[in-house]
Amino acid sequence: MLKYIGKRLLWMIPIVLGVTILVFTMMTFCPGDPAEIILGTTATEADLQAKRVELGLDQPFLVRLATYMSDVFIHFDLGNSWLTGVNIIPTIMERMPRTVVLTVVTLIIAFGLGIPLGIMAATHQNRWQDHISMILALIGVAIPNFWLALLLVLLFSVKLGWLPAMGIGTGIAGLQYYILPALSNCAGALANCARQTRSSMLDVIRADYITTARSKGVPENVVIIKHALKNALIPIITMMGTSFGRLLGGAMIIETIFSIPGMGTYIIGAVNNRDYPIVQGGTIFLAIVFSIMMLLVDLLYAAVDPRIKAQYASGKKGKKVKK
Amino acid sequence: MMAGIAEKAAVKPHKKQTEFARVMKQLRKNKVAMAGLIVMAAECLLALLSPWIIPYDYTAMDMANCLKGPTAAHLFGCDDMGRDIFSRVLYGGRFSISIGIIAVSISTVFGIMIGSVAGYFGGQVDNVIMRFLDIIQAIPGMLLMIVISAVLGPGFINTVIALSVGSIPGMARMLRAQMMKERDNEYIEAAQSINCGRVRIIVNHLIPNCISPLIVQATMGVAQTITMAAGLSFIGLGVQPPTPEWGAMLSGSRQFMRQAPHLVIFPGLAIAVTVLALNLLGDGLRDALDPKLKN
Repeated sequence: MLKYIGKRLLWMIPIVLGVTILVFTMMTFCPGDPAEIILGTTATEADLQAKRVELGLDQPFLVRLATYMSDVFIHFDLGNSWLTGVNIIPTIMERMPRTVVLTVVTLIIAFGLGIPLGIMAATHQNRWQDHISMILALIGVAIPNFWLALLLVLLFSVKLGWLPAMGIGTGIAGLQYYILPALSNCAGALANCARQTRSSMLDVIRADYITTARSKGVPENVVIIKHALKNALIPIITMMGTSFGRLLGGAMIIETIFSIPGMGTYIIGAVNNRDYPIVQGGTIFLAIVFSIMMLLVDLLYAAVDPRIKAQYASGKKGKKVKK
Repeated sequence: MMAGIAEKAAVKPHKKQTEFARVMKQLRKNKVAMAGLIVMAAECLLALLSPWIIPYDYTAMDMANCLKGPTAAHLFGCDDMGRDIFSRVLYGGRFSISIGIIAVSISTVFGIMIGSVAGYFGGQVDNVIMRFLDIIQAIPGMLLMIVISAVLGPGFINTVIALSVGSIPGMARMLRAQMMKERDNEYIEAAQSINCGRVRIIVNHLIPNCISPLIVQATMGVAQTITMAAGLSFIGLGVQPPTPEWGAMLSGSRQFMRQAPHLVIFPGLAIAVTVLALNLLGDGLRDALDPKLKN
């Protein structure tokens, strides 16, 4: 298992380097002259030229890329904001937890409700429970998260006045600020999770070992949870990784609606202000977080499915055995 | 020779039609999917004909009716500048639906090219392509689209480009997986043995056999792309107001939501109905194209 974790960690290095190169290259095509963005249109040509030299823009592309890479990976420095001159890393460290809390709370709600809903649909196949939950799932997939956010604000903040419509709070009471954002972001993931759970439960529920367990007199609840769900979990866990990515992306938009000072408002605000180092640094940082999350999902995957662990533990031999 | 060509011409459309007819027959049995298809067809038709059927010009302002709720004259009410929301939603369908269809078409074409090369040749070629896709997919989809829009700037065409680039990796991966399943079949060996070129094997033999899951994916993809395009426009990076793209409409009317909720309800409803219809159609197509997948 350790070997597997080691391999996966090593594999993350080229991915992260690749993302950095890709994002850096894309950002060089951004419209506008950085020196002019920083100094404003009133600056003299000499000032602009001095700024360009200061930023290293007179250097060839590869040199700039190498400098940036060494800044990022050796000095852990993503650069400074063009507009405020503030270093990006401390700002990210301050904002990142909010985005992570929002995404993780959303993920917990989505899977915490989606899996039971899917199980209920599968165990009551073609009955009303199944139909209701699948109709709910279809609606959940169809509703855009930002529109749901607006509707929830209209209902719970404007009409009923139960929950705050924007901002963040501190401490336990601060969690109420995350309720509406998380609810509006989770609909799609919840619905997908319910559908995936239903179909993979239906796949395993007719297997012989389920019949065996039932005929041994194992209580139905135990059969469903211990025998069926455990085997149905693998595709659900796979989905968790992609869901995390989508929720993280969704959180970008949701944050702007609820004015949560997280990574989404940071990056989108920077795009609008043409403060490109923030866009660049923020994207690279989020890609790293996302990669770590995918790694965790893969590890979870290996923990649930011993076949995968075996495949990596014994190298190529295991791969052939699996086939 | 002439007879041969004539024969081919006579046989080919017939054969194609039977496959299409089979799928349609399967689809027709599925009432839910048919509902999706009908709604989608109706929406496309309405969007296409909108310049001639909308009751008001979608840019016409009527200050007397600012923020007025739904009435018989203005079915969906009026927005903050007194423009008729019903007309704008219908006309906006042109932008929203076409962004979805164009972006997915582009990403499907590129996905097929990349995926089939990776899947057919395997080995190092596959390795290089897949690692590159890994890198792109290490950036969460929405974030990637935000970055591309930042580079390209807002606007209809740039939004289409951002959305298509973002969905190429998924398409390519799917086709590659399908290709790897198909390429060891005997009919490929047969084609190779009669000296068919690689391009011909890929285009004439492999792709037609790999296309079904891609059709389903593309149908669902249009739905997803419409939502994402609306999302981009909503945060101000996609299509810009006053273009009545549904996301841009939501973005423009957000600040008036408290006084006039109908401003945000109808454009959002249009997105939700479209996405729902496309998903239902996609589910139905999946069952119709591949009976094995049906549970």
